[in-house]
Amino acid sequence: MVLVTPHAPAPDEVLALLRMGSDRRPRFDPELAGGLRAWLEDGAAELVAARGEDAPPLHLGPRLLWRDQDVAADAPPGDRREGPAASPYPIELVESCLVRALFRQLVTCGRIGDPLADALDALRVEPGRGAMVRHVGEMPGEAKAALSASLSSHVAQLVNLTPRFAAGWLPRTNDRVAIPLAGGRVVLCGTFDLLVGAPVPGTATLCALGVATGGRWAPARAALHYLALLEMVRSGVPPFRVALIHTAAGRYGVEDVLEEHLRAVVSHIVGRLALLARTSA
Amino acid sequence: MPERSTSSVSAETPSAPPTGSLRPLSVHLLGPVDPLVAARAVAAREAAQKIPRVLADLAASRSVGRSLRLTDHDVRTALSSSAGRSPSTPFAWSARTARRGLGLAAVRSLVAGEARTPTEGARQAITGAIRSVREGSRASSAMDRWLAGLPGPGLAVVQAEAVTWATRLWSALDWSAFGPAPVIGRDRWWNSPHSSLLAVRSRAEVRSVVVDRDENPFSVHLVVLGGSRRPSVRAELSVVAMVEAVQAPRSLPPGRIVGWWPDSGHTVTVEVDRAALDVGVEAVAHTLASAEADPVVSEGVARAAA
Repeated sequence: MVLVTPHAPAPDEVLALLRMGSDRRPRFDPELAGGLRAWLEDGAAELVAARGEDAPPLHLGPRLLWRDQDVAADAPPGDRREGPAASPYPIELVESCLVRALFRQLVTCGRIGDPLADALDALRVEPGRGAMVRHVGEMPGEAKAALSASLSSHVAQLVNLTPRFAAGWLPRTNDRVAIPLAGGRVVLCGTFDLLVGAPVPGTATLCALGVATGGRWAPARAALHYLALLEMVRSGVPPFRVALIHTAAGRYGVEDVLEEHLRAVVSHIVGRLALLARTSA
Repeated sequence: MPERSTSSVSAETPSAPPTGSLRPLSVHLLGPVDPLVAARAVAAREAAQKIPRVLADLAASRSVGRSLRLTDHDVRTALSSSAGRSPSTPFAWSARTARRGLGLAAVRSLVAGEARTPTEGARQAITGAIRSVREGSRASSAMDRWLAGLPGPGLAVVQAEAVTWATRLWSALDWSAFGPAPVIGRDRWWNSPHSSLLAVRSRAEVRSVVVDRDENPFSVHLVVLGGSRRPSVRAELSVVAMVEAVQAPRSLPPGRIVGWWPDSGHTVTVEVDRAALDVGVEAVAHTLASAEADPVVSEGVARAAA
C-alpha cells in the first residue's frame, strides 16, 4: 500500500494514485470467488452447528470480526451494524457518523458549509438517526463546541484528500453488501463508503474508498480488504484498487487488491467463526 | 369497480436477445421462457380467470366493510408473521424510503437518454419534484412536498441514496438487450371487479417481454428486494405473478418474476405456472387474514418500498 502522510497534499493526489496504471487491471482466477465462498461456508457451518439451526441469523461486520485488534475506538469503513455496548453515543461513534454524512455530502455536492449544522441536517433524513441528532442537540455548549471544532478538523482533511469524481465514474456512497452463509444463518455484511467505476462481468473495474475517523490504521485497512472480499463473493470480482483516508491523522493510502489479501481475510474470518463456535457451544 | 392498470407492458414481440455475454441478471430476466411454463400457459390462463372471484369471496369474509388495498409491504409483513413478526413502524419519508422513487426516475431518464449518469438523473428527479411544489402543481406528491422542505445537506443525502440505488440497478442489466423499451417502475394495481373493497398491488422495478420457442410473448418482471433472504420470498413474487395473470388479456400473460437482492447479488426466479398462481392466492389469503387480525395493515396506506 502506498501510504502517505502529507503536510500539504497535492490536489487530486489520491485520484492520481487511483488512476495510475488502471489500464493494467490485476487478473483474478474466475474460480476464486467460488473457492473463497466454499471456505467461508465451511466456517459458517461449524458456527451454525454450535449455535443450533434455529438460532436467529448472526450478522457480522468488521467491528465484530476484528474486535480483538482494538477497533473499539473507531468504526472502520464498512461497519454500520454493531455499536459499542458501554454508551449508546460515545463521542467516537457520533464523530464517525457525522463525518461520514459530510463525506457523502462532499462526494455528492462537492462542498460543505457549517460542518456540524450540515451533518445534523443530513442525519435527520436518515432513518434511525433521530436519537443521535437529539443527543448532539442536548450536549452542553462546551462539548458541542469541541465536537464542532473536531468536525472542522476532519472536514479539512476530507476536503484535502477526497478526490472529486466526475459523474461518469458512477460514484456511489454507502453501497451495502450482505453475504448470507449457511442458508442465511450467518450474514457477512458491510458498507462501502464510496465505490466508483462501472461493473463489468469478469473484470475488476471498481475502486473503493474508505474513511476512518480514528483508531489504528491496520484494522481500518483490514476492513477495506474485508469489503473487497464481500464484493468478490457478490459479483465474482473484487475492486481492483482501494484507498483509505484517515481523517484524524490526515493520512491516506492506496493499494491494489491482491489475491493474497482476500485469502488472508477469509482465513481471519474462518478463524473468527471457529472462535465464535467455541464460545457458543 | 372495473379493472384498472397504470401501465402495461407492450405486446410487441421482441427478438430473443443473445445471452452469451450478458450480465447474470439480464440472463435471468431475459432468457427464454421455460418450455414447461409455455406448455402450461393455457392451464395457468384458465386458473387466472377464476382468481378474481376467489379473492373477492375471501375479501368479503375478511374486510368487515373496510377497504383492503394490499401492497407488497403488507404481503411481506403478513408472511413474515409466522416466523415472528416485528411490530410495524409508521411510515415516514426518509432518504431510504425516497430512494426507490427517485432512483427509478433516474434510471428511467438514463434509459430514455435524458440523463447521462445516475447522478444527473437523480438530480433531475429531485429538481423536478421541488419545482412541481414551488409552482403549485397539482401533480406534486407527498414525497415532493417533503423534498421541498429539506435543507441542502438533507437533499444531498437523499440524492446520494437515490444515486446508489439507481447505479446498482443501472449497472446490473444490459439495457441494449431489451427488445421493446422496458417499463421502469410502474406499479400496477389490480382492482377487484367483484368487490370494490379489494385491490392488490404488483410492484416491479423493470418489466419487459420475452418469447417462448413458438414466439408467444410473455411479460417478465424484475423485483428489487431488500432485507434478508427469507423463505417467503417465492410467495411474495407469486403475488406479483398473480396480479399480472388476472390482468390478462389486457396485458401479456406473465412468464417469469425475478427477485434480486442487490446487497448480495442473489436472485430467485418464479416461473409462472398454475402452481405459482395458487401460491399467490394463498399469500393474499394469508395477508387478508392478517389484516383482519391487525387492522393497521389494511388502512390503505400505500407505502413506498425501501
